[in-house]
Amino acid sequence: MLIRLEFYIKSDIKMPDKENLKLAVICSSNMNRSMEAHAFLSKKGYQVHSFGTGDKVKLPGTAPDRPNCYEFGTTYEEIYQDLLTKDRSFYTQNGLLHMLDRNRRIKNWPEKFQLSTEQFDVIFTCEERVYDQVVEWLSSRSPVDTASVHVINIDIQDNHEEATIGAFLFCELAALLTSSEDLDNDIDELLNDFETKCQRPIIHCVLFY
Amino acid sequence: MGENEKPFNKIVEWLNEATSSTDPKLKTENIHKIQEIILNQNPHLLDSFLDDVIAFQSDRTMEVRRAVVGFIEESCKKDPAILPRVMDSLDLLLRDSAPQVQKRVVQAASQVYRGALMYIARTQPVPSQMEKAWSSLCTLKSEIVKLIDNDNDGIRTQSVKFLEGVVLLQTYPEADSMVRENDFNLEDIPLTLKIVRRRRLEEEASMIFNLLVKFHGEAHVSSVNLMTCMGSLTLIARMRPQFMGKVITCLENLNKNLPPTLSKSQVNSVRKHLKLQLTNMLKQPCALEYHAEILKLLTDLGCTPQEISKIMPKMDDKTRRSHKRAVVESAPSVHKRPRLEALYRPENVIEQPKRAHVTKPPAEPSSDVTEKFVLERLSPEVAAQLVLAFIPQIPDSMPSHFSSNFAPVVGAGSQAQIQHIAKMLLSQSSGSGRQMPRKSGRVLTELEEDDTEDANPPPPPTAIAPVAAPAVVSEPVMPPPPPPVEELMDHDGDDLEGPILHQRESSEQLLAQREKLKELTPMTPLTRPLKQKARALKLAEITRPLSPEMKTKMCLSAVKRILNAEKIAMFGGVNSIRNKIIVTLASTYNADVRRDILKFVLEDLQNRLDLELAISWLYEEYSMMQSFTKKPVFTTDEDSASKRYVKLFCALAEHLAEKPEREPLLKRLYLEAPCITDDATDILKALSCDETRCSIGLQLLQSLVIRRPPKQLTYLNALLEHTAHDSVEVRSNAMKCVLSLYDDRSDLRSIIEEYAIMYLGFLQLPAPPDVLFGAERGRPARADSWAEGPTKACLFLYLELLPHEHRLIHELTRVYVQTVADVKRIILRLLDTPVRGMGMDSPDLLKLVEDCPKGAETLVTRVIQILTDKTPPSAELVKRVRELYQSRVSDVRFLIPVLNGLTKREVIDSLPRLIKLNPIVVKEVFNRLLGTHSDSLSHNSPLTPAELLVALHVIDPKKCELKTVIKATTLCFSERQAYTQEVLAIVMKQLMEMNPLPTLLMRTVIQSLAAYPNLSGFVMNILQRLILKQVWTQRKVWEGFIKCCQRTKPQSFQVLLQLPAPQLQEVLEACPEMRQPLLQHVQSFTENQRSHVPQSVMDVLTGTRHVVQEEYDAQTVEPMSPDGLTIDVREDNIAENAVGSEPLPPGMD
Repeated sequence: MLIRLEFYIKSDIKMPDKENLKLAVICSSNMNRSMEAHAFLSKKGYQVHSFGTGDKVKLPGTAPDRPNCYEFGTTYEEIYQDLLTKDRSFYTQNGLLHMLDRNRRIKNWPEKFQLSTEQFDVIFTCEERVYDQVVEWLSSRSPVDTASVHVINIDIQDNHEEATIGAFLFCELAALLTSSEDLDNDIDELLNDFETKCQRPIIHCVLFY
Repeated sequence: MGENEKPFNKIVEWLNEATSSTDPKLKTENIHKIQEIILNQNPHLLDSFLDDVIAFQSDRTMEVRRAVVGFIEESCKKDPAILPRVMDSLDLLLRDSAPQVQKRVVQAASQVYRGALMYIARTQPVPSQMEKAWSSLCTLKSEIVKLIDNDNDGIRTQSVKFLEGVVLLQTYPEADSMVRENDFNLEDIPLTLKIVRRRRLEEEASMIFNLLVKFHGEAHVSSVNLMTCMGSLTLIARMRPQFMGKVITCLENLNKNLPPTLSKSQVNSVRKHLKLQLTNMLKQPCALEYHAEILKLLTDLGCTPQEISKIMPKMDDKTRRSHKRAVVESAPSVHKRPRLEALYRPENVIEQPKRAHVTKPPAEPSSDVTEKFVLERLSPEVAAQLVLAFIPQIPDSMPSHFSSNFAPVVGAGSQAQIQHIAKMLLSQSSGSGRQMPRKSGRVLTELEEDDTEDANPPPPPTAIAPVAAPAVVSEPVMPPPPPPVEELMDHDGDDLEGPILHQRESSEQLLAQREKLKELTPMTPLTRPLKQKARALKLAEITRPLSPEMKTKMCLSAVKRILNAEKIAMFGGVNSIRNKIIVTLASTYNADVRRDILKFVLEDLQNRLDLELAISWLYEEYSMMQSFTKKPVFTTDEDSASKRYVKLFCALAEHLAEKPEREPLLKRLYLEAPCITDDATDILKALSCDETRCSIGLQLLQSLVIRRPPKQLTYLNALLEHTAHDSVEVRSNAMKCVLSLYDDRSDLRSIIEEYAIMYLGFLQLPAPPDVLFGAERGRPARADSWAEGPTKACLFLYLELLPHEHRLIHELTRVYVQTVADVKRIILRLLDTPVRGMGMDSPDLLKLVEDCPKGAETLVTRVIQILTDKTPPSAELVKRVRELYQSRVSDVRFLIPVLNGLTKREVIDSLPRLIKLNPIVVKEVFNRLLGTHSDSLSHNSPLTPAELLVALHVIDPKKCELKTVIKATTLCFSERQAYTQEVLAIVMKQLMEMNPLPTLLMRTVIQSLAAYPNLSGFVMNILQRLILKQVWTQRKVWEGFIKCCQRTKPQSFQVLLQLPAPQLQEVLEACPEMRQPLLQHVQSFTENQRSHVPQSVMDVLTGTRHVVQEEYDAQTVEPMSPDGLTIDVREDNIAENAVGSEPLPPGMD
């Protein structure tokens, strides 16, 4: 039927609900910041994935020059066990074990963003370097379709407290984004509002799959 | 079968479910499921279900419609052949009310377009359905191109992406361009393909590229769009290095001139994105030649040399060395800068608050932007304006501290100096309590408000007013230095608030200044108090547009200045560039500009008799009309390109046609113009109608026929039209042209002939057709009947052609028989010259005579007559005519022209009929036979005059009335040249010897006598001989005899006396008055003589004897012979056998 009645058109405009917006949260190792946000967002009912962009999964070690490095694909469980055996009290103290414990209950292993083929509507990144890597990766891969994706960076320091604050910020932003009827059209303004509110510089761009 | 049925049934089930359900989510899901099943597992089912899925395109939920678009996209990817079936849907969905759906369609279009192009390139031949789909896809494409100006940001974004795809598809890669897998480009399109031409595609691509560049440079572009566009352009540059230069210029421009609408963080994002893009580009080997530019840009964006060297691709030694040099050059200056900065600082600004000199760290690069902003606007013009503005404030006498401080400016105008001044201006303006726009390079408006004492305006190029110029050391351009650490600490905190505060304070002041400024520089966009919101500032909202009148006025006066700058341009050696500018302005701007330029061009023509400018303009319009050059987007001209071309051409042509002395130019215009439109041809036609000017118009038309083959027929037609013009001058000129074409160009012959025949054909119509009339034909009033004018008009060309092409005569015969009498008459009259031109030997004429269609007798006769008018008929002709006469047309008039070619016998045989004709004709006949009126010496008549007269006498009275014969003989007698005394004597002698005697014998005798009295002796002799032949036995002759005697008395007395008595008695009874003289005559005889007179005669004379009276009584009662026997020669005008509808026979005219 070619002719749609007026009210049909009105019924057209509907808020993209949480499930319709595919989110990704990306940090360097897919451990702390991204997982914190992942946990929080999925609790709030968002469709969310999390990734890391680094070469390896890096966790602080007992000394600054001796970090714990794992390949992407190593399960959280394995890392948990590894740290447990290495220095249980130290890693309990600095919260890593707790963090890994949470992570293994969310998904199996840290995922590397550059290996993923999934498409998202919005990608949150947790630091500028990660943002750069995401942009770099997305703009260098060969095109699939030209679906657009918003990449938004908010700098979050890599510690537990900041990660929690970051998760709140992302969640708030996600709520803001889902409130829009036409995200592509409104995002400039939304981010601007949000930036003013949270007092953190935001970097944003649109890329294409 | 069972294998296939499973998914089939499943799909049917899903479809039903989706159709009946009201849950959009379920529908979407089902569509996705179907898509999955069909496209990934059972492609053969696509055909059956495609339409069913597409049917959801009218679903009320946007999500479902989006899913349909997705389905279409995927299907097309799988099997491009289905494109024709989905085009309509795509088209429909592109106009969807929901932007999300539109966006989705644009997104899908990229894939579909690519797929279709690949499909077309692979499939040979392209099915017609596909061709159609392709053309609607192209329409879709142009729709999307328009969407780049859509209100919705997302749609714009997707459109940009789509355009990027199109550009990449439709250009050629180069050896060193970045290659992505599955890259498809122009090289993959076969050259032979009809529906997609490489050149077209490439042109389109470059047009689209320019569109992107323009979009990229727009002032109000949103950050998202800007970044998308930036990304697209860089990608294009990387994959199609031929665009690299343009793209880099574009990025440079962007860096210099960020859109004023961006908020701080957006500026950061954009700059970051720019940096990323540049980095990507730098890695490309093809970017080598642009390394310097890219590096400079990167440095401007705050990249450290370390970062740069990290990004730099591995290069061979040579390039690396050059690269190193670049780095080295920039590196030391970075460190030197702070020190130098201190040196530069002039004393009068050094007391300014410290913060004014702060250069922000690269992490906060907005003050860089500000400084750059000032720098870029510091053009000599602005400098001059500043100086002018300050002059009133310069003290009358030079302050003492000035002269002590003043040092001449070193390196005035160098980049470094300008940069330095920019820096000072910046610091001063912030020092004077005014905030420079920091965040986004907002417009600097307060410059002119600066104090003279403080201000340090850049010296104008002439440097005549050095006002407190600081000592400046010339220095190479340097990148923004990393600031001293303490400064960074100092200002980290209030960085955000500062500007805002200042802004609020000065906002009132600012408004007042803005008003002032508007008068000075009306084009400068103005700021409004800054809010931290991105959308707070929309240039369009805050700038007051110029009034249309003002705009037009300025535009026109600018044009005028260009037009008047000819001499200057000539001296500067840029005349050709000026011409190009004029031409471009004329062809792309509005009607007013065009009008002015046209006026100029026309005047120019008048003054210089030079067409160069006009022709190049014409070509410019032409190439726009043909879309060789794209019409600029800003053109507001409502006329279509072709209309504009026509208008221009006509204006030029009319102007040139005005005066005869411009004819050479007119000629050039027509011969050199790229295309001559119908209107232009009309001008030429009109010119050709003018009696005094026709020759140029017609000659031009002739040249055009030869030199412009594509429209040859139009010109030829115009030329031909004029061959029927009423004016002799026009006509003869046109005729000359047509005939020369007719002779030179065999290919045009048939056309010309057809035209002539068409006109000839008009004569068959009951009334002249409308085409013959009108002002342009020289016959303004329409005539309803075939008057002479229109008839001739139809014949002119034909008759001219006739001598050149004899076979055309048959057309004439065909037409002739169907025309009305008046037309026939005119035709016959006009035939003279052409037929004479054809000559007697023309086989076609002979054939005409031979065939002589029914109804064309008069025509044929006339033809023969013309042919034989001055020359004797050829044997061939005679033969034809004779055959015709004998077999088909028994009209004796046919024979007249060829009489001289006939045998004696034939002539004599036809004489009875000939003399029956109208006297004038008869006279003509005789003239021919007697050769009296022919000038040729070779006249050889089959009959001598004597023979003719004799022949007349022997005509059988049954065949011809006596009266007619009499008239004929009378005619003979009037020809005294031919019928001399001797001839008549011979005639009489011959007649006399005949038996029976010809009835008219005596009449002829009497006439001869009347003509030549000297013949009387001879006549007496005749009379005597007649007596011997018993002339009285033939009543008529006898009567004539008596009359003759009567007339010839007294000589006849001798003859009378020889009559036998009864006959003498008769004579005397007929003319009693003779008796007495005769008697006396006898009595005067001598006796001897008298003895010879018989007694009986004497008795008769004396009247004593009345004998045998009764014997003849019966005869006298006989009806007397007609009054025709009256001897008196009278000019009878009986004939004139009423001129009926038929034209008069030959000789009447």
